[in-house]
Amino acid sequence: MQISSEEAIRYNRQLILPEIGTQGQIKLKQARVLIAGVGGLGSVSAYYMAAAGIGSIRIADRDCVEAGNLNRQILHGTGDIGRPKTLSALEKLQNLNPDCNIEPIQEIISDETILDMVADCTVILDGTDNLKTRKVLNRASILKGIPFIYGGVEGFTGMVTTFIPGRTPCLECLFSRDNGHNEPIGIIGPVPGVIASIQSLEAIKLILGIGGLLTNNLLVFNGMDMTFRKIEMDKNPDCPICGSNADSGLFTPKDLPASKKALK
Amino acid sequence: MNETMEIIVNGHKEIVPGNATLSFLIHHFKEYDGDLIVEHNGRFVYPQKYADVTVREGDAIEFINPNIGG
Repeated sequence: MQISSEEAIRYNRQLILPEIGTQGQIKLKQARVLIAGVGGLGSVSAYYMAAAGIGSIRIADRDCVEAGNLNRQILHGTGDIGRPKTLSALEKLQNLNPDCNIEPIQEIISDETILDMVADCTVILDGTDNLKTRKVLNRASILKGIPFIYGGVEGFTGMVTTFIPGRTPCLECLFSRDNGHNEPIGIIGPVPGVIASIQSLEAIKLILGIGGLLTNNLLVFNGMDMTFRKIEMDKNPDCPICGSNADSGLFTPKDLPASKKALK
Repeated sequence: MNETMEIIVNGHKEIVPGNATLSFLIHHFKEYDGDLIVEHNGRFVYPQKYADVTVREGDAIEFINPNIGG
């Protein structure tokens, strides 16, 4: 695979980085990233994946744009209210970078749909807004061996870490409990911007195979006092998903359509 | 737990009973969020260890509520 003269111009400012160069740009072009949710986090990471020249960007979201999304979900505008988020995202991302293959999936992320969503993906970027969906992403990450970059925000704070199956704890290790909070969470727009920017940088480094990743560390950001802290994490030996006594099935047969049962 | 000790909880100095466990401190500071994350001296502690981990003078504890919004 080569890069064109147009691509050499578009990506010049990253091509001149010795850590990237032409070979790195080709790696980005060959990658396929799943962005699970194009809300506050996914808006930002989708823009940066397209801008960086990721070859294929699969965006999954079941929701339509609402006016109350627009303080933070910067992919979408006033004219998009009522439209599917994936359609709005498709248009913005194609406008930013027509060379990217954008694959919109306007579907709920569930055990029934996730294996098709992650098929052939290099990395999963978390843009979801609840633990239940994140646990679906986590199980698929473990099952298919795909790195999963978690991000979460609330108010003026956010968290991010990179899970690599077999090498690091998984999301279930961290969040074994889920009280199912469903009430709206207050969020100021720049906070998902910060967290999703870090997720995006992690994804780019992971694809390129460069630098140190946020593995075995949970990065906690407090935007009120402008601090970043890292919390060291080990694998949870009792984790039901990645621990030594984990359920090797991950997806229960009743959750899977017939075509997926062969994966178990 | 007759003697007391000084520890740092969420960035603030606190006096607590000596040899307090994380389980004791969670109740002592009324951290009842079921999704609570506990950091002890910069390391993540899993819930099944809360009753076993004893805190010592000068230790730093952070009670953190997970960020699940997106």
